[in-house]
Amino acid sequence: MLSTIQTPRWLSHLPSRGHTKSCSLYTLASGQPVTTTSLPAADQSQIFSIRESLLSRHLTAAEVAQSYLSRLKQTEPQIKSFLHVSEPEKVLKQAQEIDKKISRNEEVGPLAGTLVAVKDNICTADMPSTGGSHILEGYRPPFDATAVKRLKDLGAIVVGKTNLDEFGMGSSTEASGFQVTSNPWDLSRVPGGSSGGSAAAVSARQCVVSLGSDTGGSVRQPASFCGVVGLKPTYGRVSRFGLMAYASSLDVIGCFGSSVADTGILLHAISGQDARDATSSKREVPDLISQFISPSSLKSRPLEGLKVGLIRETVDVGVDTGVKTAIQGAAAHLEELGCILREVSLPSFSLGLPAYYILASSESSSNLSRYDGVRYGNQASSDELNSLYEDSRAKGFGPEVKRRILMGTYALSAGYYDAYYKRAQQVRTIIRKSFKAALDENDILISPAAPSAAYRIGEKKNDPLAMYAGDIMTVNVNLAGLPALVLPCGFVEGGAAGLPVGLQMIGAAFDEEKLLKVGHIFEQTLQGYNFVPPIISDVL
Amino acid sequence: MGSRALLMLSNFKFKPSFAFSSSSKSFFLINKNPKVRNLSTKTRSSLEPPDVPRLAETARISLSPNEVEEFAPKIQQVIDWFGQLQAVDLDNVEPAIRADTQGDNLREDVPETFENKEALIASIPSYEEPYIKVPKVLNKE
Repeated sequence: MLSTIQTPRWLSHLPSRGHTKSCSLYTLASGQPVTTTSLPAADQSQIFSIRESLLSRHLTAAEVAQSYLSRLKQTEPQIKSFLHVSEPEKVLKQAQEIDKKISRNEEVGPLAGTLVAVKDNICTADMPSTGGSHILEGYRPPFDATAVKRLKDLGAIVVGKTNLDEFGMGSSTEASGFQVTSNPWDLSRVPGGSSGGSAAAVSARQCVVSLGSDTGGSVRQPASFCGVVGLKPTYGRVSRFGLMAYASSLDVIGCFGSSVADTGILLHAISGQDARDATSSKREVPDLISQFISPSSLKSRPLEGLKVGLIRETVDVGVDTGVKTAIQGAAAHLEELGCILREVSLPSFSLGLPAYYILASSESSSNLSRYDGVRYGNQASSDELNSLYEDSRAKGFGPEVKRRILMGTYALSAGYYDAYYKRAQQVRTIIRKSFKAALDENDILISPAAPSAAYRIGEKKNDPLAMYAGDIMTVNVNLAGLPALVLPCGFVEGGAAGLPVGLQMIGAAFDEEKLLKVGHIFEQTLQGYNFVPPIISDVL
Repeated sequence: MGSRALLMLSNFKFKPSFAFSSSSKSFFLINKNPKVRNLSTKTRSSLEPPDVPRLAETARISLSPNEVEEFAPKIQQVIDWFGQLQAVDLDNVEPAIRADTQGDNLREDVPETFENKEALIASIPSYEEPYIKVPKVLNKE
């Protein structure tokens, strides 16, 4: 009985930069100790590892599922990543279906046996989808989001719906209408947001991979806070059909995994044009999977000649010293791999944050007008139509959502459009051009994913501007529509074993392939770090 | 905290380049050299301040007096912060609807049957076949 958690970089729990590698024993839920014997692909990808184990009859899908479900059950009271967990019988039944197919030597998809968690603003027909809001409490969509459908078609099992800031509006998951999710690295801290539940679930190994959404950093910042890999694809790479719209010109569905390879495999599964999303791109999706080569096959300096631009404005005033140190360490590691590191300045960088919040609030005020209590969702009782709207919305929406709708309504009011929305659109043009210029001269750009590591629950809740300030590293990428990958690169002080820090890599439009290739090599050659939170070592 | 520093538009000269690497090559030209005044987060927008009760009516959200009192300063603060953009010279810059205007992705305007009608109907709070029920509309003067 092999454990389902295998990683060759199973190192000591201390966030040291020494070259210590220790072989570790850990247990399955069954209590039997096992060693980390790994198949070649297991180093890089849990998804590959599971599939190999199933096809070689080493493990059954039911055993894999049971192992994750047990861990989920044990850790969930402390972490609270999920708003809805699928009944274990349902999950096991799906797993058994896969086992039957395998025993009959039938084809199973590339994601066979992989347990996936889905952010609750992405529609799943057989599970509630609340968007983190009381206004949709109990709502069951009549369809699956395209991304969810594609995952299921490839053999993945959806294990549950994860917690989020209401309708994606927030950066800490504290604005959920239902519960606060804790960071697995330190339960008194936020997991980040708005996809905090999805990030925490992967971090705590409650599932293999998860889906989130990223409008202003909502996949990348929680990935950084929770020490997992987060990928924001190019706008239009993944269909938005079934994603509850927050800001339609900025929203994308993104992926979380415990490795770059897993995140890439997940992205590949859900990418591609969809007739139901007019903004989804017709561009062909390249093979994002077979490039994940084993570290032993890498030559020295495998990224020789790759031009990397560190954005100067992101390692400046207002960024934590510990974060800067971690990023500098990551930059040094890239240089060791052969990259040419340069500083790049983007003078318009700071314009992005106010522009983003104007655009996002404005678009959200329009998008959320559909929640009127009439065709779905919770309805307040009233004997007059306008009061029905007003009271249903008042009762259903949380304070942050209300404030953003009001701000958006203001910015779009007659006479104010030129002052706010139009100007923000113009800033978008400037930022898009500045990133394009920088990416014409560099293969990728790098920066931190956030100005700090995870902060304490409650610390920024009452100061909206302080909360917004934390998005500075991520919003410009959404304005420019570019892809970005965040992967853990170091730690800062805090919690029992340090708090993870993520490196953000930004690529040119539709260049996810390059990001994944660089990220994978970076990850596989990074020595001296263990990005598994201590809470899991106790449970394993 | 450091966060206030992150909210300020840096005092940069809008030189005729959008980005430059350390080799100091300029890539993109715009018209003049507008400056941005060094603004703090405490700037005041030059437009009428938000009238929260009126906005709430427009947005069809009823607010309690407590909520109005609580929200107004927070909203004002954010709107003032938005006001920083008014100082930036954006003449001759095209507004961008979204990042990549790769339009023309429309499908045929042909009706399709949606299969799962029962689920659609099951979600309706107030249904009296075949009508979705709502209360009367009061005519406003």
